[in-house]
Amino acid sequence: MNEQPPKPTKILNQAYLDFSEGTLVLDQWSSQAITRIFGDSIWKWDERTHSWRANPIHYPAIRSILDVNAYGTLDRVPQWQPVVWSQIQLPTLRAEQIAAVNAWSVTRQGVVVMPTGTGKTEVALRIMADQGCSTLVVSPIRDLMYQWQRRILNGLGYDAGIIGDNTYNVKPISVTTFDSACIHMPTLGNRFKLIIFDECHHLPGPIRSDSARMCIAPMRLGLTATLERGDGQHSKLDQLIGPLVYRLDISQVRGGSLAEFDIFRVPVFLNDRERVRYDQLSEVVSSYVYERRQDDANFTWQTLCAETQRSGQAGIIMRAYREKKSIEDRAEEKLRVLEDLFRLHHGTPMIIFAGSNAMARDVSRRFLIPCLLNHCGKAERIDYLDGLRDGVYPAIVANQVLDEGVDLPEVKVAVVIGGLASTRQAKQRLGRILRRRGEERAILYEVVAKDTNDTGRSRKRRKSDAYAGTRNRNV
Amino acid sequence: MLTRELAIATFENGELVPDRLTRKSDAAYLGYAETMLEIYRAGVGQTRRSLHAAVHRVFQEQIDCPGRRILAFCKLLDDASEYSKGDRRKVAQLRQSVFRSAAKQHPLVVERDSLFESQESEVKRRIAEEHGMDWPELHDKLFSDLIEYHELKSFKGFVDGVALLSRYNVAQTQVVMFDAVRMTVTATGDFKQILRYAKLARLMHRITKRPDHYRFEFDGPASVLRSTHRYGIAMARFLPGLLSCRGWSIVAMLRATPYRPPIQFRLDDACGLVSGVVAASEFDSSVEEAFSKEWGEQPRDGWRLERETEILHRGQTAFFPDFVFVHLDGKRVMLEIVGFWTPEYLSYKANVLKQFRDQPVLLAIAQSLKEKMVSPLDHPAIYFKDTIKIEAVLEMLRSFRESFDQTLGNGRKT
Repeated sequence: MNEQPPKPTKILNQAYLDFSEGTLVLDQWSSQAITRIFGDSIWKWDERTHSWRANPIHYPAIRSILDVNAYGTLDRVPQWQPVVWSQIQLPTLRAEQIAAVNAWSVTRQGVVVMPTGTGKTEVALRIMADQGCSTLVVSPIRDLMYQWQRRILNGLGYDAGIIGDNTYNVKPISVTTFDSACIHMPTLGNRFKLIIFDECHHLPGPIRSDSARMCIAPMRLGLTATLERGDGQHSKLDQLIGPLVYRLDISQVRGGSLAEFDIFRVPVFLNDRERVRYDQLSEVVSSYVYERRQDDANFTWQTLCAETQRSGQAGIIMRAYREKKSIEDRAEEKLRVLEDLFRLHHGTPMIIFAGSNAMARDVSRRFLIPCLLNHCGKAERIDYLDGLRDGVYPAIVANQVLDEGVDLPEVKVAVVIGGLASTRQAKQRLGRILRRRGEERAILYEVVAKDTNDTGRSRKRRKSDAYAGTRNRNV
Repeated sequence: MLTRELAIATFENGELVPDRLTRKSDAAYLGYAETMLEIYRAGVGQTRRSLHAAVHRVFQEQIDCPGRRILAFCKLLDDASEYSKGDRRKVAQLRQSVFRSAAKQHPLVVERDSLFESQESEVKRRIAEEHGMDWPELHDKLFSDLIEYHELKSFKGFVDGVALLSRYNVAQTQVVMFDAVRMTVTATGDFKQILRYAKLARLMHRITKRPDHYRFEFDGPASVLRSTHRYGIAMARFLPGLLSCRGWSIVAMLRATPYRPPIQFRLDDACGLVSGVVAASEFDSSVEEAFSKEWGEQPRDGWRLERETEILHRGQTAFFPDFVFVHLDGKRVMLEIVGFWTPEYLSYKANVLKQFRDQPVLLAIAQSLKEKMVSPLDHPAIYFKDTIKIEAVLEMLRSFRESFDQTLGNGRKT
């Protein structure tokens, strides 16, 4: 550039750029200087403190502008440290993993989409190894946080700090959960140069996204198997993390790094007692809705939900509805089918996915197989997972805890006995069992209560492309 | 505090009304509240699950009581309780041991046949025996580390049913504040307390003086950048303090939720909500009280004594002089009594005062602090032993008047 940089109109004293309570603070700059150097958008005047404030996510942009025209402004923001790895022991990456690392390295901000089981974590560890800087890994739940901690220890030889689960131990390399990240970012936002969001489709949302907004990290990596959210919020990831830099579709890896798989749907019927109660409850709900519609043509389920807060009658209807769902979820017949499937695949490790914690415990108490739930401690969880892999336990049952990203031993048979009707959950679940091993094909059973809403949910679930080619089987 | 899932609020005439059990038709709740307290007081050793079941039974007859309200009572009672967490490690070990013995017999079948011989009830009976109990007992023990099986250790809750209902009513109003992006308090009194509680809740303020009141706007650091309800929890935390004050009304701006558009929420000191927070006594110390009494209602030397009618503020620093002397001619001099403070508070106070060095402030400092004052004072001061001598004050006021005449009122800013 030939032009002389414009002189700021007035910078009175030593100016400072600081990180304060989840915002960037700049003082002493006149508004003319701000407008001339930064344009309009980034800085907002805060009359409460007589200083300029900006979202920390803009730090890289601000820094590059100040690199040209600092006007004596002292930058006290970043508290980064270089990290030296004591010993890197990472597996050799497969071609698609290398492609992902390379694609990200061009922008060093962006989202990598890979199906579960194709080694997202290895991609992230490689990137961490290459960058060697203060890094925060943010994951949806405690279990995953501990898993990252373990993977970092095994792969990079670093005992990462833990922020969450009643622990607050901040180190240059730290792991945390989405909720803790959001709570603590006002004090952590300037400590990390690289931030990794695992299962990053959880990030959008007005408060959660603060963990991206209040962080100055110039390098950002988002990992997910399923970018799409039902509410369309995933477009926000573009601003919060960066563009989609690499995408591997599940159809591309079928028979590749993932195994071929078959899906069987097993219909079950409610027993007489359940059926009578179910029909009773259905009658209660539908006649109430019918009556209300006579008065008010616009009466919807949402209206009912809103009314339950105050009206006892609506509350009774809601309870009836919940009991219906619980009957579907915990139909006794499902346990009988499960017994048959255990007989059929005797000697093969199996994972059962339940629709609720209560059902997971029902299964656990019926068959005396380990039940993996949120409350399991670290040691217990490892015992179950390792035990399933080593053949100590024949099968385990789980609820949501295993839905996302938790590393599982390879199994060839999984059973879904209830769950939510979202394509994302379906994909995550499939990713669990689709581990490549020899020529064996993986099998997923879906046990569905017939003539109930359970069937409808299963249909919705199969809309996901991963379910293409489902067959029915009567056991 | 309650969680969002336990919130109950309705719309009445376009206003959001949090659930409150104060109507005539709610009279029965006082009895329920007493019964719930009895359940918890007598409930030491019982599991959370059975306590909650007992609370639910209290409302069996009250058919129009929404489930959330019952759960909200459970939460408030639990908040005042201490539960033993059970021996997580021991229960986990029991589970592992049970599952390991069962693994060899997998699958447990209802009816044995030639291929699968492990009959369910038989295996369960045997495994239970190995662990020194019968199956129903083992069945219950297997997941006894879950939060619903924790046992009540102690309950140090509410003095009576009225207190529990008051807490419930406040709690439902607090949840509403979770969605607040900004809160404006119009105050005609108790400024000092209101700002103090806001500071404790870590809120930031903006102060505007109006002819007969002050306007405080509360939100957080990031609020200038975007509309966020991040600080809603802080506002909820601030509410009980505010409720203990007098002379205020608030308007909170609530964000849109899936169930409603953005909306204003209003409340004032006549709302009837009672919080457990006790308002600080009117006088910070007996020195002040004695001084105020001795000065009396009538002007001395043309100076009238008023209490805390003024807030001085610079950015986030606010200063409330203890008294203001108002002269018949309109001149004002503030009096700050520096009593028996800790060294930390003293240096904090000195810092605050430094920012207001252009203001006519008279300091009355306890003799015992004289040696501890590290930095030179920016304001004229008199020293006192037990009581502040009126004559000394009047003398200082005279010299203030002289300096006013010299500077023609310069340096007065409110």
